[in-house]
Amino acid sequence: MATLTVFQSLIIALWVAAVMSRSLLGGATLTLRFSPLMTGLVVGIVMGDIAQAMVITASIQLIYMGVFSPGGTMPSEPAVAAAIAVSVALLGNLSPEAAIAVAVPVGLLGSYLYQFRFFLNTFIGKRTDTAVENLDHAGITRTVIWYPTLASFLLFVPLVFVALFWGAPVIADVIAALEGTVVIHILEVVGGGLAAIGIATTIYVIGRKEYLIFFLLAYFLSVIFASLGVTMVTYAILGTLIAAMFVLATSNSKNASPATTGSVDFGDDDDDDF
Amino acid sequence: MTEHNLDPKLAPEEITIKDVNKAYLRWHFANEIPHSFERYIAPSLLWALMPILRKLYKDDDSLRAAYQRQLLFFNTQLTWGGGVITGLMSSMEQERARQEYNNEEITMSDDLMYNTKAGLMGALAGIGDSIDSGTVQYIFIAIAVPWAQNGNPMGALFPFIGFALYQVLIGLFFARQGFTMGRNATGLMQSSGVKNIIELLSILGMFMMGVLAGSYVKVSSSLAFDISGRPFVLQDTLDTIMPGLLPLAVVLGVYYYYTKKGLKVTRALVGLTIVLAVLAGVGIL
Repeated sequence: MATLTVFQSLIIALWVAAVMSRSLLGGATLTLRFSPLMTGLVVGIVMGDIAQAMVITASIQLIYMGVFSPGGTMPSEPAVAAAIAVSVALLGNLSPEAAIAVAVPVGLLGSYLYQFRFFLNTFIGKRTDTAVENLDHAGITRTVIWYPTLASFLLFVPLVFVALFWGAPVIADVIAALEGTVVIHILEVVGGGLAAIGIATTIYVIGRKEYLIFFLLAYFLSVIFASLGVTMVTYAILGTLIAAMFVLATSNSKNASPATTGSVDFGDDDDDDF
Repeated sequence: MTEHNLDPKLAPEEITIKDVNKAYLRWHFANEIPHSFERYIAPSLLWALMPILRKLYKDDDSLRAAYQRQLLFFNTQLTWGGGVITGLMSSMEQERARQEYNNEEITMSDDLMYNTKAGLMGALAGIGDSIDSGTVQYIFIAIAVPWAQNGNPMGALFPFIGFALYQVLIGLFFARQGFTMGRNATGLMQSSGVKNIIELLSILGMFMMGVLAGSYVKVSSSLAFDISGRPFVLQDTLDTIMPGLLPLAVVLGVYYYYTKKGLKVTRALVGLTIVLAVLAGVGIL
């Protein structure tokens, strides 16, 4: 039975820890954590099949489309999910849909691990207080940067390693046995619909109910033009132009409104608070 | 006491834009590393401001007090919140150090500094999260997904590098703005230029979410049976009414749930999974 080597499992585990400790280039870990794409690429490089890894990762990305963490909580961890799911799928020659079946539960478990990291950091924080009290500058750096990073590595590396080295072949066998059954159909349907969560979350957090018309406009444009293969860049440009027109029109009418008392038609948008 | 304080060796050094850039980059790097339940990412803000505080406070007690001041509960978003607030705190600490050194009355009090920080961190995080993480990041990702689907590694590298660069640049911009505007930065969000940009980005965000929903939410009915010998396929009937009806219904359904119950993402995720799984299991989807 095919397995990952110790080296392969270890490299992927170290990558996940670097991302989830948030220490790999600091703020740049945002996309590494929210999107499975880079983790999928790393798995592809380690396992020697970049092209297939990207295809599988793309299907995992679709279920996490629009996912971010308003206020710091996220229901699922796409990077952890991709590390396990892409490895399993490459190992067992599974379809991208089957990879989703692995990704969804693993991603949920990953979010508990991420919360546990905050718990560990709470203890390290006490030592920051001591270092501040003693004006120990090197000590502050150690307790703010190095100890939390080390704690996350100690948390993530062993768990991900075990899941890959011993777990991946087992998971691959279970999923392979399920292929062709109704379970895979269910997972396909669930995977196809989950992107709605991230998108609805973003709409809600943007918090401008009156702008739902722009959402609906874009939705129907993309459905109507689906067969034309309009690219995302084209849509982004179109969206920027439409937004600019709207802002131009409303800010002009606001500036003009004290002078021209008659034209109420344009300027009926409220002063919105955030 | 007065003589002691006017000792030139204890005079605060000048804080330049270079110092502010450095402080922001330290913030950008430390950001989420020390995140804890107790005070969230306050240690990162302290670590970011350390070199500036050391330039300002040459007296141990003042320096310790400044460190403790910047280590109180703090949570915000990386670039909008983090940028403006690192710049703003640099400017406010500079004023505080000047007042302490000259033995003036301390108008830049601990309370004023913390309230400024606390007042901005939530508001800016809301804007920053929805615009940066929610919209700009997904524009990059949505551009790259078709490449990934074709097996091209650019599908992973492009959104990572593009978004990471965007964040550093916009964060440095906000930090400089926060520093030069000083206490007026609280009014930054009220200026019409910034308001228009937020307006434009909010609309673009809504628009791109529409495109993402239309392109990537896949919900269709697989229900098919014969009515007195003639085949009936539910999805075909739905398509004659309006293509894309079901995906739209799902997205708006989740949105409606949020408007009624608040932003309960995990519950929505679990709930939608169950609904879709059951409908798929009985053969409707």
